[in-house]
Amino acid sequence: MPLSAYLIMSAILFTIGSIGVLARRNPLIIFMSIELMLNAVNLAFVAFSSFLDSADGQMFVFIVLTVAAAEVVVGLAIIVSIFRTRRNIDVDEMNVLRG
Amino acid sequence: MTATQIAFFVLAVASTASAIGVIAFKNAVYSALSLILTLLFLAMFYLQLGAMFIAIVQILIYAGAIMVLFLFVVTMLAPEAGGTEEQDRMPWQRIVGSVLGLTLVGALSYLIFTGTIASGTKADPANSLSAMVAKQGDIQAFGLALFHGFLFPFEVTSLLIVVAILGALIFGRRA
Amino acid sequence: MTNLSFGVLILPLLGFLILGVLGRFMSRGAILAVAWGACGLAFVFAFLSFLSMIGTPVSGRVSDPTIYTWVVSGNLQISFGQLFDPLSATMLMIITGVGLLIHIYSAGYMEDDPGFWRFFAYMNFFIFAMVLLVTADNFLFLLVGWALVGLASFLLIGFWYQRRAAVAAAQKAFVINVIGDFGLMLAIFLIFINFGSLNYQDVFGKLSPSALGGPTATAITLLLFLACTAKSAQLPLYMWLPDAMEGPTPVSALIHAATMVTAGVYLVARANPLFELAPVALNVVAGIGGATALFAATIALFQLDIKRVLAYSTISQLGYMFMAEGVHNYTGGIFHLTTHAYFKALLFLGAGAVIHAMGGEQDMRKMGGLRQRMPITFWTFLIAALAISGIFPLSGFWSKDDILGSVLAQANATQNPWFYVLWGVGLLTAALTAFYMFRLFFGIFTGSYRGNVVTAHNEAEEEEEEEEGSGHHAGRVGYYDIYEAPAVMTVPLVILAVLSVIGGFVGSLALFGRPQWQPLANFLASVLAVKAPTISFALGWLSTGLSLALALGGIGVAWLLYRGGFQYKESRNPLYQLVFHKYYVDEILTAGLVNPLQALGRFASRFIEGSLLDGGSRGLAFLFRLSSTGLRRLQTGYMRNYALIILLGVVLIVIYYAVRG
Repeated sequence: MPLSAYLIMSAILFTIGSIGVLARRNPLIIFMSIELMLNAVNLAFVAFSSFLDSADGQMFVFIVLTVAAAEVVVGLAIIVSIFRTRRNIDVDEMNVLRG
Repeated sequence: MTATQIAFFVLAVASTASAIGVIAFKNAVYSALSLILTLLFLAMFYLQLGAMFIAIVQILIYAGAIMVLFLFVVTMLAPEAGGTEEQDRMPWQRIVGSVLGLTLVGALSYLIFTGTIASGTKADPANSLSAMVAKQGDIQAFGLALFHGFLFPFEVTSLLIVVAILGALIFGRRA
Repeated sequence: MTNLSFGVLILPLLGFLILGVLGRFMSRGAILAVAWGACGLAFVFAFLSFLSMIGTPVSGRVSDPTIYTWVVSGNLQISFGQLFDPLSATMLMIITGVGLLIHIYSAGYMEDDPGFWRFFAYMNFFIFAMVLLVTADNFLFLLVGWALVGLASFLLIGFWYQRRAAVAAAQKAFVINVIGDFGLMLAIFLIFINFGSLNYQDVFGKLSPSALGGPTATAITLLLFLACTAKSAQLPLYMWLPDAMEGPTPVSALIHAATMVTAGVYLVARANPLFELAPVALNVVAGIGGATALFAATIALFQLDIKRVLAYSTISQLGYMFMAEGVHNYTGGIFHLTTHAYFKALLFLGAGAVIHAMGGEQDMRKMGGLRQRMPITFWTFLIAALAISGIFPLSGFWSKDDILGSVLAQANATQNPWFYVLWGVGLLTAALTAFYMFRLFFGIFTGSYRGNVVTAHNEAEEEEEEEEGSGHHAGRVGYYDIYEAPAVMTVPLVILAVLSVIGGFVGSLALFGRPQWQPLANFLASVLAVKAPTISFALGWLSTGLSLALALGGIGVAWLLYRGGFQYKESRNPLYQLVFHKYYVDEILTAGLVNPLQALGRFASRFIEGSLLDGGSRGLAFLFRLSSTGLRRLQTGYMRNYALIILLGVVLIVIYYAVRG
């Protein structure tokens, strides 16, 4: 398969992820969409690594993976603590910083 | 149509369907399960591309650890959060988001097809991965690349993990 | 020759400064000492200088010391000097002499006024400004004096500044005068361009028909005459003088009869070398003079306020003076100026005595039968009325016939029918003058007293005047409350009456077989000698006889109509209404000039300043507020919106790269 096929695949997944971020109100699902976006990027990296015959792409994926894990941990902890305070995790309710 | 191509298309359709499932399900648990599926399909993509280690790591860590964590929180919060999807204050957001998304994918596709990204990629013979793999095998090649070229990011990543753990501990404490 | 004209200039100025600064703290006696002292000493100096001038031979009768060099800038050199020659000597005597008499009179007239010190300060200032005007030796200081007398007139007309009518009249006088000042300034510019200097001797010395083209001379002189029409209240800028009667009567006597309004006559006489080069301008001067004389006389026929009758009479007599100057008889104009100063000042002061006795009443309908109560005023007024009507042998006879004779001479010399018309106008005006003068005289002094007759008309007017809160209080004065004026007022009246009788004998006795007897003409010859046409003995007697007959006729008609007292009947005749309302000139000007200008001002204020300028800056502020309100809506607080915008940015970048290729 040519490189562009994988890149298109990556783009599609990225788009689906971003639509998810915009259209859902449950922060957990928003988070999952972000994970989807990250994974789409990972796919692009791996595709480049394969087609450029270089290890750098896979290294990047490794790092991204780790960072994603850390981010999920902290993010979920935040969501849980918000839930504890507000008993509601709808992101539209979190609009105190309105201008 | 070679087997590779068939496999690719099947995987493509499947992963797209499950990705849509992530964002479309009302029930958060279903969304999480769809995400696990998507991740698995992505791992298969990696396998097709020859990144063995990454594929395994993806399954182990993403699908195994991260998604389990997600499911924990989802099942803890989602039932109690109740009808969070009622009374959407900004229904237009979905439409605008979809339009924007379609624009994005269209532009990216245009770029990919007409740009020099896909066509102009040349392999760099000196740093050839396939050569290393052929000589020493997958894992070893990966390990060498990681600990020779990317040592510093590796160490920083471990620091990041420590920070994340600390953060989770602090947030996790009861008020 | 002793030239004390600098003293004549400085003394009133010092008087003004002292009274202006310290006047409010000074006692009546001190104020009068300063005011009378300044004016009196000025008169003494003027008189002494005059005597000295008579003693010097004719060629030495010009003294022009430069007192102060003011500006030396390239070609322009302006210095302040005082020209003392026969013309200015004559004017100085009149100004300070009549001025002194009026100062004395004012002590009595203004005795009740709280602004006593202010009045005398302004009067001294006026004397100073007028002296500056007539002794200036260059056109620039003439202009300075011109403007300053305008200022003095403004201050004095609006002396009772709490009265709206007075303030309005003062403004009107000033605004109309400024139009004249404009003409004078343009003339000065033209003179400077053509001669490089503004000094009289430089300008007049270089004059010849070749040095100055006809059109330029005409332009200069017409502009000068514009200034004269404003200052001397000729058509078309006469409207301010009747309104100026709002000022105290001594002011009207001094400024608006004897001296300031004669500044125009003086100017034409002074600039006679220029006028002689512009025959067109001279014709204009004569024509306007004649037209004004007749016009004002017709209005005076029907006026009811005694001061207004005298005001229009002044305008009319000034017309005579210009008529004389327009037919090359500058000496005649100056002669009539001097005799007019005597009898007009006398008329005004007499009217002032009546007004003072009547407690501020000026309406002729409320007077009558004052002969018995105010005998001195009666006799002096009679003398003045006879003088102005041109009855032999009083002063007015000599000066008026001088003028009419010279008009007839010009008519004969040029065979231009318009000059004959002008002569006819002069005769007719003489008749009208006699008539309205005696109408006034009979109205005030004969018949029975009408002041305590109550009619519906009177009631309404009295209420109106009490509301206004005037400087003079009109009320019903009982007949036996009226007393003759105090001595301080009647003595000047008597002196002026004597002058009105004998003042004419400095004129020409050519009609009586003594052509060599013309002392004034001889005196002024070095300044005003002009080739003027003359008439034969017979024609001179014709003119004189006719004017005398017409004057007597006018008096006779007035006697027939009014000897039993003045009966006022307002006629419904439209022609009467037209003249009674002074040809509606003021109304036309208000509608045509004043109202549009005020509307323009309101428009400018509301629209240009209000909407455009203020609105512009307010609009700018509004724009800012609008944009910030709009931009504020971006901060919704919803995370999803922010995410949307971020994505939008990303999409835009990608599109940019896609488009760029």
